[in-house]
This record gives sequence, C-alpha cells and structure tokens, in this order.
Amino acid sequence: MTHSGFSRRDFIRVSVMAGGGLLVACGGGSSSSRPATPPSNNSGGPPTTPAEEFTLGEFMRIGTDNRITVLVGATEIGQGALTAIPMIVAEELDADWSLVSAEQSPVAANFNNPYFQNLLQFTVASSAIRGYFDAQRSVGAAIRQMLINAAAKQWGVNASSLRTEASYVIDDIGGRSASYGELSSAAANESVPSNPPLKDPASYRIIGTSPQRTDASAKTDGSFKYGMDVDIPGMLTALIARPPRFNGQALSVDDNAALAVPGVRSVQTIPGGVAVVADDFWAAQQGRKALQVSWNELLAGRTDSASQRNDYNLRLNLPGLPIRSDGSTLLAQLQASETLSADYYFPFMAHAAMEPLNVVVDYDGSSAEIWTGTQSATLDKIFAGVVLGLLPDQINFHMMPAGGGFGRRGNPLADFVRDACFVAKALQQPVKVIWTREDDMKGGYYRPAASVRVSASLNSGDEITAWTHRVVTQDVTASLYVENALDALHDMELPPLAELTDFETGMPYKIDNVLMDAHLTILPTMPSLWMRSVNKFSDVFAQETFIDELALRVRQNPYAFRRQLLSEKPRHRAVLDAVSQAANWGQSASGVSQGIAVMGHWNSFIAQVVEVSVSANRELTVHRVVSAVDCGTAINPNLVIAQVESAVIFALSSVLFGEILLEDGVVQQSNFDDYPVLRMHQTPIIETVIVNSGNSVGGVGEIGVPCVGPALANAIFAATGERIRELPLSRLNFIIA
Amino acid sequence: MLTIQVNGVSHTVDAPEDKPLLWVLRENLKLTGSKYGCGQALCGACTVHIDGQPTRACVMPVGAVGNKAVRTVEDIRNEHIGSLVQDAWRELNVPQCGYCQSGQIMAATALLKSNSAPSDQDIDRAMSGNICRCGTYPRIRKAIHKIASEQL
Ligand code: FES
Ligand code: FES
Repeated sequence: MTHSGFSRRDFIRVSVMAGGGLLVACGGGSSSSRPATPPSNNSGGPPTTPAEEFTLGEFMRIGTDNRITVLVGATEIGQGALTAIPMIVAEELDADWSLVSAEQSPVAANFNNPYFQNLLQFTVASSAIRGYFDAQRSVGAAIRQMLINAAAKQWGVNASSLRTEASYVIDDIGGRSASYGELSSAAANESVPSNPPLKDPASYRIIGTSPQRTDASAKTDGSFKYGMDVDIPGMLTALIARPPRFNGQALSVDDNAALAVPGVRSVQTIPGGVAVVADDFWAAQQGRKALQVSWNELLAGRTDSASQRNDYNLRLNLPGLPIRSDGSTLLAQLQASETLSADYYFPFMAHAAMEPLNVVVDYDGSSAEIWTGTQSATLDKIFAGVVLGLLPDQINFHMMPAGGGFGRRGNPLADFVRDACFVAKALQQPVKVIWTREDDMKGGYYRPAASVRVSASLNSGDEITAWTHRVVTQDVTASLYVENALDALHDMELPPLAELTDFETGMPYKIDNVLMDAHLTILPTMPSLWMRSVNKFSDVFAQETFIDELALRVRQNPYAFRRQLLSEKPRHRAVLDAVSQAANWGQSASGVSQGIAVMGHWNSFIAQVVEVSVSANRELTVHRVVSAVDCGTAINPNLVIAQVESAVIFALSSVLFGEILLEDGVVQQSNFDDYPVLRMHQTPIIETVIVNSGNSVGGVGEIGVPCVGPALANAIFAATGERIRELPLSRLNFIIA
Repeated sequence: MLTIQVNGVSHTVDAPEDKPLLWVLRENLKLTGSKYGCGQALCGACTVHIDGQPTRACVMPVGAVGNKAVRTVEDIRNEHIGSLVQDAWRELNVPQCGYCQSGQIMAATALLKSNSAPSDQDIDRAMSGNICRCGTYPRIRKAIHKIASEQL
C-alpha cells in the first residue's frame, strides 16, 4: 500500500461561492484564499502551471443553507463510495450528517486515488477507502478549523475557546453558536491551516456508525442515473457486431438489409467490429440481425478451453518465475518423510455486471463529452483523446456511477470507451453504444483460467517443513508490461513488477521453506482482466483446500490445525477464532457438514465457515455462510457487512456455476440461461461478524470472495470424502437446487 | 401510433408494434427507472406491472399491451404497499449498485399485494426470477418479512 505525501497545502483551495457559501476546491499553489472561481468544466489532465492548477475541480460545497455536498473521486459501483467517503470528510468536519450529500467528482488530477500514487482515478483493488482515507480526513479537519477561525474573529474570542458539533461552531462561554452555513462565506477568507488536528478515533461520531446510504432513495424510486440512462438531444443508439473470435477484423460488409430496417441510419466499420447506428435500441438490434459481415480471422484468437487446460497442466511441471522464496524447499523436500501434492484448475469466468457496458459520446470534431460507468476514468479519458485526436481539456468526461463493475469496468486498455469513440468519430453526432447482455458475456476480458499446483512436505514428526505453490495463468497487471499498454501515459513510471503482480504470495502459515512461482502467460488474443479478488480466488482456493488435506493427514481438526500454524499471525487467528465461535464450529446440525478457510489481503482479514449438505443423488445445498472480518476500522459497519454478503453471493455464483468455455476461439455462453448466477432460492443464510481490531482501514470489496470456495469444498469433503480440485461444481455433477 | 396507459396517464407513442415495452418506456417516454439487463426474460431488471401483474417488459411487445394499465417504479410509491417496500428498502440499505432494484421492488410489491404474510418459500418463488449480481438477496428477504410482520 502506498501513500503519497499529499499535503493539505497542495490539496485544498477555498473560495466564496457565487451566491454565498464556501467552496472548497482542489489544486496546488499557495494557501491564501481567493475570490470565487466557478468550478471548471471537469477537464482534467495533470496540472502544468500554477495558474492552471487553480481551475481544477471543486471538492466540497458548503451552502448558506447548511447543505454540504462532497464530491467523490472513486466510482460508486455498489460498494458505497458515495456514502463512506463523505462520512470520512464529515467526521473531521464535525458535520451534521443529515445535511451531507454526495456526487461523483469530475475526472481531474486532484481526485486521483492516493493509493495509485495520485496518478489515476481507479476504483479497483479494494482501494477506495484505503486510498482516500487520510486525505479526506485532512480536508475535513482543515475546513473545520477555518470555520472555527471565522467564528472566533466575528465574536472576538480565542479560537481555542470554541468547539464544533453537528455543523455548528459553539461558544460555550459566550452562550452563542453559528451554523456552518452562516459562517461559510467568512471562513472562505481564512487561510488554510497547514496542520489541522485530526480527531482521536475514540471521539468519532460518524465513522463507525451505520447511517443510510446517501444513494438509497434514488436507488429505490427509479431516479438514480446510470450511464445507460443518459439521454441527450439528437442521440442515436449503436450496437456493434463483433467478430466471433477475438481480434477478428471485418473483411467485407453487406449492409443492404440492415439499412433497410426502419430506423437504421448508418453502418460504420470500426477496428473492433461493425456498428449499426439507429434511432433507437430496437431498430439497432433488428439492423444488426440483418447485417452480413464476413470476418478476416487470420490473426484471430483460437483459444480452446480443453487444449488450453492441457497446456496449462503441462506447464505446471516446469519451474516458473519465483515470486516468493523462503528458506530452501529443495533441501526440505529431500529430507521430508513425505511430500503430498495436488493440482487445481479454474476456468474463465465473466463478470456479468447487472448493467451491461455502455458509453455515450457526443463528439463534434473539435471537442467531446463522454458519459460512462467506469472504474478507470483517467485511463479511459486518455484513450478517448488518442482515438478522437483531442487534448484532455477538449474532453468533458462524466464518470457515471455503475450498475456493478467487479473489475470489468476497470480495463486499463479502455476497450469499451475506445469502441464508442471510434463510432462517434465516424458519426460526429451524439451516440450511445450499448452492449447487449450477449455482447457483454461474449466480449472477453474474463477472469483468466488458472492451473495451480500445491505441495507440502512433512517430516517424521508430522510437521510441515516445505510448501510450494505454482501458478499458470494470465496475470493482468504483468501483461501490461509486456504489451506496453501504458505507453500513452508517458509520465507514468510503473512500479516494480513484484509490487504490481496480482499473484498471491501471502500464504500465512508458519512453514520455514516456501517457494511460490508463476508462469506469466501472455495471450493477446484471449482478453482477460481482473475480476473481484483477482488471483486470490484461485490461489486461496488451492491453499485453503490443501491445508485441509494436511490437517486430515496429521489427524487434526482443520480449525485447530490452522490455528496452531498461525501462531505468529494474530489477526488471522483472531478472525479464525471469531468465526469458529460465531458458526459453532464442530456443532453443526445432523446431516450438515462444515468447512473453514482463512486469509488476509487488502489490509483486511477474513475467516469463513460454510455449511452444506449433499444428498445421495449429489444434490448440494449450501445452508449457511458465516464470516468474521477484520478490516481495521469499519467506516460504516452496515456497509462492510453488505460487502461481505455481496462477496459471498458473488463467490457462490463463481464456485457453483461460473464457467466461460471456448471452442476454437468462440465463446459458448451468451446470457443468464447458459451462464447462471446465484438466485434468491439458492442463497444461504449469511451471517457476518466484524472483528474490530482498530487498525488502519482495510479494503472490504473483495475480501469476502476467496475463502467461500475452499470452505465450501472442505465442507463437501466433510460430507462426502470427495476432494474438489476444479471448478465450477456444476461441472462435477453436483445438482444445485 | 399506439396509445398506452402508463402510470395513470395515456401516452401516444410513435413505435412499431413489436418494439418491446421496456424500450418504449425508456426511450419514447423517458422513464428510465425500468432497466435493461438481459432482454430475454431471464433477469427481471425490466419488471413492470401490467394490470397489477409483474411482467418482463423486455419481451412484451408494446402492441400487445393494449388498454391495460402499465405501472413502473417511478409511480409505485402511489400504491400503499409500493411505498412500504421503498421505505423498507431504504431503511435496510438494500440497494448496492441498485441497477436490479427497480425490478426487485416491482416484484416484491406484487408479492406483498397478493400475499400479506409470505413464507420463505413464497419469497423464493416470487423473487427468484430477479437476479441481483451484487447479492442483495438476504436483505430483500429481510425487508419483505419486515413489511409483512410490521405493516400488513
Ligand atoms: S431485461 Fe427483462 S428480464 Fe432481463
Ligand atoms: S444491487 Fe446491484 S445488481 Fe442488485
């Protein structure tokens, strides 16, 4: 985890809003306050001169009506960014939470996520709270101090004699108070304190409570606007016919029948396919059905799931690039009395966010306005500029909240934005490019397939003396190096590979000799991408099912066995103990079997117990999933629990059903009938306890995913004696009711 | 030109008879609360009420609607049970990304209108056509039980 030395002095600009009120804007430069500048029109790009820095977007507004609006640089994708980030600001500001609302920020350098060295607005890697926490606290604290200073001046008292509470500055001695709204204009003329005191966590009034989501109302009355809902005058709708195999190119297009469909306006060939542009979705869909394209597939992908799996399995026999090496596994293996090993396989999986991908582009030849639900707005905007031939300040990019992301909307290659920009460039008229569910399912950028081999060596005393873990998979982050995909970002120095790779190296057990290695697989014609919890999904599955096998081998209880191997990992141990207590480990009802797993990552820790039953005809029922999570400090515990519930269900979908199969390069799945996801009737009881360690904030968007699979597999073993070494379970003849 | 009744108002729309009701609502009438999720009656994101019956608008040709009354999420607060559902959804922080929730709310309202004390099995039956990729099912179940036990 990385934190920049983002100083408040660089971060905050304060001014009086037109019509009164306090405008807090971001930008570098001096700390003196200045008269009102209207918020710029969201143009971003790194600041080059001090003057330009002043024009960068606003961060927060305090109105004379006491309303506070916080602009949020992380995308709301369901995780609650529009609630939790304002809570952090409001805490240090001592605001009345009921008067706080939130908006997505513009795409601008000052909203970049500190987690990514302040280079990107990038809502991935469970980084929103971890990244923004410190900076948001400082902003809130600085503004609070300025409000106090303004009141002190007005009343002619010492600032230190005043206190704040719920959006009021209070003078206890003088028996008077003033609201933040009343003080906001005067406060804007105060200088920005360089070192405002931060609260002692013990005196938090907002952090650690569970207010309602700021977006709850709009998400229950149909008024919340997603990219899919953007509507601008004169807007056309386009669907893109894509090649059946990745990287195919349109060779010849017969658009007569398509153009004959009423409402179809034009057909445009772009690098990624052929766009049918129409007055509305229905006409575009009919037009696309009527379109005839023959594809050049000379360079197209021919990935075939069956042969790819064989290839991966063969490569498990060859050493890869070491990513963790403790002691000497070779020596330990030679001295071992026994070495056990197991191979695992995980297929490609689709993110299948509820809102299919879509982008609106209004390009007129010299400027563009773009709307899309994205986790990667900064890179999207750069690629849009490259495609459209525009400078960053000629593009007004609206980062829309999204109907789910799970990583698919965080593509550093900006595939969906580039496609839409090519269509808009050809049209020079506002257009919404919509992906149908089938387009979304077949469009690539999947969780990559993976093969994993784990081995453990035991000495004559039944102690584990060596552990190896080898992976063959596409590593998305590492691929970026090879493909030089970030060339467009000439200012960006990539951190060393070891810091960026998504491979799991955090195997927590006390084993002296550990070797983890990986085969960096680059398949340019098989687009893959991170999906919620990335490689932890497969790596932790292998690790946590294999450790169960070892527990059995040495005749120990899987919980007690882990506990003893975690003697130097207090936070792992604490969640393990908490979940065993919450789930009544070892006391399940008759006919119900339990499995357990534990992990730590993203600065957070989790242990989960899954309870299942398996009938004689292999009908698998998941009864209950219990989780104990330690995310350091929970900003909004109710939303932390919601994220764990969400992750459990997401993981069950993947573990039970998740599989994208390719035959000779062609994806076989298309919609929720052949790519099922978990539904209400299949959802177990989900119980979650928060272990409040009081440590620094951790990420919670992904931590609930990886342990579900192995805990479930371990429970199936307890029920049937059968070891699960590949996914999904629906492939293994389990019947899932 | 076709005339349909939506949220108590009669609208004349210029759309072919086979255009799905979902896209007429979203594009012609600018009622974007009903969502496109699959287009194949597989996910429930587009659920509206037609004469009170929960219906997948993505596969309903607008020409087949006739005189029947269409109600969408934008108007569901005007039904007593619809407003209870919205309130419970907010109170329990049900929505995450929220994209499926219009459909969930329309399905839950229809369930509670026909069954004031649904069992877990009743909820499974009524709600399993509505996918939520964010996994809000446990809270949806809880919210439905809460309304039934406290307010109906
Ligand atoms: S969009 Fe109608 S059921 Fe999915
Ligand atoms: S809340 Fe996101 S799909 Fe249901």
